[in-house]
Amino acid sequence: MSGWWARQRYLLDYASASLWRRKGRNLVLWAIFAALVFILGSVILFGSAIRREAALVLRDAPDVVAQAMRMGRHDMALASDIAKLKSVRGADRIEGRLWGYLYDTSTDANYTLQTPSAHAPDLALQKGEAIVGEGVARLRKLSEGKHLFLVSPAGRLLKAKVKKVLSPESALVSSDLVLVSAEDFRAFFELAPDQFTDIAMRVRNPSEVGTVSGKGALALPHYRFITRANMARTYEALFSWREGLLLAIATGAILAFAILAFDKASGLSAQERREIGILKAIGWETSDIIRMKLWEAGLISVSAFVAGMTLAYLHVFAMSAPLIETVLKGWSTLYPRFALTPHVDALQVTTLAFLTLLPYIAAVLAPIWRTASADPDRVMR
Amino acid sequence: MILHPPILALTLAALVSAGALVAASAFAVRLLGRWNLASGAQSQIDLEKRTYLVAVALRFAMAVEIAALVLFVFNADRMSAMFVGAMCAVGALNASVYGFPALFAKIALFFGASLWLAADIVDARGRDYPLTRWKYGLLIALAPLALAEAGLTIAYFLDLKADTLTSCCGKLFTSDRPTIASEMAGLDPRMALGMLYGGFGVVLAGAALARRSARARPLYGVVSLAFFAVALAAVVSAISLYVYEHPHHHCPFCLLKREYSYFGFLLYAPLFAGAALGASAGALGLVRTPASLAHAMPAILRRMVVLSALGFAGFVLVATWAIARSGLILTG
Amino acid sequence: MTRVRAIERGSSAVFVLAAALAGGAALAIAHGVWRGGDTTRFEATRALAEGAGLTDLALFTEARYARHPAMADLHSAFQDGPLSFEHFPSGALVAPARDFPAAGLRNGGAR
Repeated sequence: MSGWWARQRYLLDYASASLWRRKGRNLVLWAIFAALVFILGSVILFGSAIRREAALVLRDAPDVVAQAMRMGRHDMALASDIAKLKSVRGADRIEGRLWGYLYDTSTDANYTLQTPSAHAPDLALQKGEAIVGEGVARLRKLSEGKHLFLVSPAGRLLKAKVKKVLSPESALVSSDLVLVSAEDFRAFFELAPDQFTDIAMRVRNPSEVGTVSGKGALALPHYRFITRANMARTYEALFSWREGLLLAIATGAILAFAILAFDKASGLSAQERREIGILKAIGWETSDIIRMKLWEAGLISVSAFVAGMTLAYLHVFAMSAPLIETVLKGWSTLYPRFALTPHVDALQVTTLAFLTLLPYIAAVLAPIWRTASADPDRVMR
Repeated sequence: MILHPPILALTLAALVSAGALVAASAFAVRLLGRWNLASGAQSQIDLEKRTYLVAVALRFAMAVEIAALVLFVFNADRMSAMFVGAMCAVGALNASVYGFPALFAKIALFFGASLWLAADIVDARGRDYPLTRWKYGLLIALAPLALAEAGLTIAYFLDLKADTLTSCCGKLFTSDRPTIASEMAGLDPRMALGMLYGGFGVVLAGAALARRSARARPLYGVVSLAFFAVALAAVVSAISLYVYEHPHHHCPFCLLKREYSYFGFLLYAPLFAGAALGASAGALGLVRTPASLAHAMPAILRRMVVLSALGFAGFVLVATWAIARSGLILTG
Repeated sequence: MTRVRAIERGSSAVFVLAAALAGGAALAIAHGVWRGGDTTRFEATRALAEGAGLTDLALFTEARYARHPAMADLHSAFQDGPLSFEHFPSGALVAPARDFPAAGLRNGGAR
């Protein structure tokens, strides 16, 4: 075993010296590879961290949300429907939810107006009070005790005293949130007292969620029942499909890189040719040269991968992913300010290693062999 | 098709390695027809030169295959969240008829690839590459398997649909249907553990024998494959129970989950390594030792036998640790 | 060249660089384990999500089907006009809820 290692170490000596002799070319290759890994790695790390965050945060979301449908559109739920649902066995704590969107012309932002659940005492609001999210407070320069003025599309005015600004830590779910009392909500949007946006249900026994929503669908056929598992799956799929698309597009970049690596590896300079000739003349075997060249390729690709991945980690978790944020922001004025909790998924990192290292090594194998199997007399001549 | 990064990676790996194997076996056909080391003809020199490329490409492809097996199982476990009723890799693999065949093809290819790699390493030690014909014959036999594996993998991924209703491991490993899985689960844990430890004794004895005598090596190969089967049965019928601390949870795939701190990888890695090394040593033991390898080949085979026994020992040790640490008491 | 000379052998230089890279990566992983295991940060948010009955992340506020993808149906993106093309950038990032209609679409496998 020690003989094997000593041999590999000599090959490594030679490979590192050889890399250093052509440092310009190799540095460019290294930097491109690292940049590629950095970009793809950032996207993958960001996506998996946000999916995990969603899964953790939404663990206590309503078990089932029932949404009235009419002509394929979301319709208002009625108090009489809530009464019908109450007869479904196993369903617990059925409440009408009141929530809606408001386009605020003064800040050009969309807010989500909502009423807190009656079962949450620390969020309880009196008429004329509001709790606002971090983003709303930031845009409207609000703080506790100040007044929030909103104008409805119909011209109704809502004046509410800010009771609390939600902590920035919860920005990912609450940035655009304005919580008001049910009374204010109905007056502001001119809703009848028996109307609700949709219906939230808790189910006593978690294993009965499917049965309960099935029974609910029988009682209310024009309703759509969304279980928490459905919501979780929506977020499980968030970005993952787009990530796949991005990777499919990035295949172009990876291929281009592989072609570059192939080209660099097969374009033998006269000096290199002589080098191989001399090595063979002094007794190196073809397999030794292949091994040495593989060390070169391995050094470049693995170190670039590790460096790119580490940089991606810093980018996403230490700097809140500024490059990705500009893409995600899109047209929304109100983008939550949040720091993601670090989360590195071994599966994702392995996947990325497969997608980047594999094409690179595959691309350089043939040129390496061609270099190594050149006849010494032909190259020395 | 679910456009998921690991799926893209696995598809790429399947295509690359199957492509390499098929191209290499086309070369192997050419080589088998014309290989003649004594000849100095240009065609023979070209063949010799090309064997270097083929060997290095195949080593790469086989390494990719082995890594892909791990990624495949890991990914199946993770994807289970997308299917209704799936709790672990079993559900994700069951979501399509191609799931389990793809896994089995991957495992078969894993053993074939290990044998080929072992033959390649042995062969490279001889001045005249004495195993070349044998090795390339094996390669031609492996190529259809590689194609089938790539085909099944891709068919599996194409066939997958999110939100498919699938069955969970609880269904597969219950004894009300007479399948191999349920037979394994129905085994009395005490007997399974007895077979495991008894089998390990046989493995150790076989390894000691195979270290000394060349003739015992094929036998050791058979013993390692048998022990591999016994070990899997023990995992299903007993060891998994101890890990989950649950008297009826028989799944060999849930072990790979994060909840059990990826214990399965720790358990299966030495087992697969031991079985692959043992079986390869056994198969190579069937080959008559060529003159140029009179010293090198027995030495390598001996080392493979020792490493294989060490792998099995690692597996038994990890399993014993899991049993000792567990809060579940099955056998009084 | 000077750096390679300063260290006796090329492989030693490689080992030093490899150690530096591995150290950086190990620091990142250690940071991830240390900070990532801390789920107390989520407690307040979870309580809020429960109390207000929140179902979605406030990542994209520009369109309702992007703000509440779990509550949106497949047609939400087109309800402003049946022939209108998706025109919010975030619509390219959020996949619609595939659980709707409950029976699934014919090509419901695409995620």
